[in-house]
Amino acid sequence: MKRKSVWSFQFTTASLVLIPAAVGINYIGKLFAGVLKLPLWLDSIGTVLASMLAGPIIGAISGAINNIIYGLTMDPISFVYGITSVFIGLVAGVLAYKGWIGNWGKAVVAGLLVGLTAVIISTPLNVWFWGGQTGNFWGDALFAAVMANTHSLWLASFLDELVVDLVDKVLVVLVSYAIYKGLPHNILQLYTGDHHVESLDK
Amino acid sequence: MKKVMVEHLKYRYPGTEKLALDDVSFEVEEGELIGIVGRNLSGKSTLAQAIVGLVPHFYRGAYGGKVIVDGIEVLHSTVSDISRKAGIVFQNPFTQVTGSKLTVYEEVAFGLENLGVPRSEMMERIDEALTLLGIYDFRHANPFDLSGGQMQRMAIASIIAMRPEVIILDEPTSQLDPQGTEEVFLAVQRLSREGMTVLLIEHKLEKVARYADKVLWLDEGKVMAYDSPSKVFSRDDLEEHGLAAPIYTQICKALKLKSPDGETYPVTLEGAYEVLKRWN
Amino acid sequence: MKSISLYVDRQSFLHRIDPISKIYYIVAAILVPILYPSLTVAFAVMVISLILLFLGKVIRQTLSVYGFVFLVLITVLIIQTLFYPGNETPVYRIGQVVLYREGFFYALTISFRVINIVTSFLILVFTTRSADLVESLVRKGLSPRFGYVIASVFQIVPEMMSAMGRITDAQRSRGMETEGKLSVRMKAFLPLIGPVVLSSLLNVKERALALEVRGFNAKGKKTFLNEEKNFLAPTAVQWSLLAVILIAIIWRIIQ
Ligand SMILES: Nc1ncnc2c1ncn2[C@@H]1O[C@H](COP(=O)(O)OP(=O)(O)OP(=O)(O)O)[C@@H](O)[C@H]1O
Ligand SMILES: [Mg+2]
Repeated sequence: MKRKSVWSFQFTTASLVLIPAAVGINYIGKLFAGVLKLPLWLDSIGTVLASMLAGPIIGAISGAINNIIYGLTMDPISFVYGITSVFIGLVAGVLAYKGWIGNWGKAVVAGLLVGLTAVIISTPLNVWFWGGQTGNFWGDALFAAVMANTHSLWLASFLDELVVDLVDKVLVVLVSYAIYKGLPHNILQLYTGDHHVESLDK
Repeated sequence: MKKVMVEHLKYRYPGTEKLALDDVSFEVEEGELIGIVGRNLSGKSTLAQAIVGLVPHFYRGAYGGKVIVDGIEVLHSTVSDISRKAGIVFQNPFTQVTGSKLTVYEEVAFGLENLGVPRSEMMERIDEALTLLGIYDFRHANPFDLSGGQMQRMAIASIIAMRPEVIILDEPTSQLDPQGTEEVFLAVQRLSREGMTVLLIEHKLEKVARYADKVLWLDEGKVMAYDSPSKVFSRDDLEEHGLAAPIYTQICKALKLKSPDGETYPVTLEGAYEVLKRWN
Repeated sequence: MKSISLYVDRQSFLHRIDPISKIYYIVAAILVPILYPSLTVAFAVMVISLILLFLGKVIRQTLSVYGFVFLVLITVLIIQTLFYPGNETPVYRIGQVVLYREGFFYALTISFRVINIVTSFLILVFTTRSADLVESLVRKGLSPRFGYVIASVFQIVPEMMSAMGRITDAQRSRGMETEGKLSVRMKAFLPLIGPVVLSSLLNVKERALALEVRGFNAKGKKTFLNEEKNFLAPTAVQWSLLAVILIAIIWRIIQ
């Protein structure tokens, strides 16, 4: 079921109400990752699903509001990374629209692209905010090693973010795709953006 | 005065083949309580949503015929405008809570704020609605802390406060325990006594027989009958279409005990009692 | 109901400052040190933010947030003092390990900045009711429908979290393994999250229907049940903060 055009959208009630649900799904992904002690964040499944369902703009807004709410409720630092979330939503939405999240193989590639986007946006933020680190133990260990050997803060920071984000986003897109495939028809129907009522009167 | 007029209404959901409503026509007078019955997927909820305009404005799809609520035609209006005329209460009490308000009082205000009702009038209306539904004492509670029955009464109060002419309840008790069910039915009865026009979708036909002035029976999107409860529930083809008559009707039918009119069977406990008494 | 908000109810003058002013303060606290990149300015702004937080009587509650921040900042301090690319001047030597002056000051700059930004947000987050924040923004012109979106997150997320608890218990009692090897734990993720996500997306539709029939998309002016709160001199506070930001920008331009 394809929406009319990738950027055409309206703030319908169904798409606005999708945003809090997307934030909730992100939250729960993060919590389950914590419960299962997975070395990943898995905290953008809702954003990616919102993008797949309602397009890049709703996805991007879900990402932004997600980080605002995280910032208000758990961790004020996530305000800084709101921009990354916005781009995750945008890229996932465009890829979904282009049919790039259409089967498992493609979903892996889409996940890599989303991950790469996240890395490219986050690295300058890491450098500006933390001087290049991410706060993730393994990533920061790599950061220190690269700094010691190459004296390039940017390379170190880039790799620090890359090791964590790439795997994380591939899994996020795969999980989102698995869930999306199982959604009933009448949910997908809400987001087709078809605003025409056909007449049955003769 | 006619509050609801439905004329040759046809509707098909987008992406489906079958008509969910097929040439439905009926009229509702002011102050009536209409029971809407029919087996699963017969089109009851679709009809309810057609009266408040969610069909076709929310779902889109294919639409024919006319629905007129208190003088306005649904097809050429918006859901927000129709909300001043007709309100609906859904099955699930949880998903009807807006989730953006921290108290019951504020929750009921949600619709009034959206419609731009002035503040002083708002408070008057909310107090009245909460009192009518018997939840005034919970006005400072968080909506999610209420029991199912209380939550559903809050949903009804939220609609009543918007002062619609017609209220539609779509299986309002199907997810409630017996206590919650009883609370909600008493509330519905009270609304009806206040002169409200009520359409009630309900699976428990005993309840419909007891409260409704008339019964609208739907099957496969078509109207099977629109008549008094005793006429509709005395029909012989109920079972064939997946409905079980009220237990009192079944007993009297088995005993071949008709009501004094000689045509129908009793449909309520009181009716059955009268007939049985005379039989003895 | 469980709340996810970090708001702490206290009697303090910060609690009586309007939410918009606190947003202006965040902007000022971030912008001023960027416009004057000096360690002294960063330090001064950081101290002001911390004093404000102290006056808001919430500093004890914020410690858990600082915990994580300090942990990372310590690693920043270690890594930068050792490996910062601009390192030239050794100040201390422990065997093979050399500590450098440049890296140390760079780490200090980062630390002041991080603490400053975090603190200015904490002022907003710990002393403002989220409902007040949303209502202020809507009164300032934010679309009420977006106001709804933000306000509802605070209640819908805890609702989903309790659904999550129920599902985890159910799956565990059915014998799903949630502990052990990484691969076992990975495999448990989808069956755990799937049902919660599905039910929340089904709820989206029902909630959208319920909102529509309560005038969610009504045209025309909306009204408010609550009267506008009496905040402490909002206009004066907002204009002063704006003035600070403007002076900083002008100063920067003529420099
Ligand atoms: N959103 C939808 N999209 C497509 N088809 C739908 C949708 N909602 C309902 N239908 C279909 O329309 C028909 C009527 O369904 P409706 O929900 O109105 O029945 P109902 O009488 O309310 O059933 P129940 O007693 O189970 O509540 C069914 O065939 C159903 O599958
Ligand atoms: Mg139904």
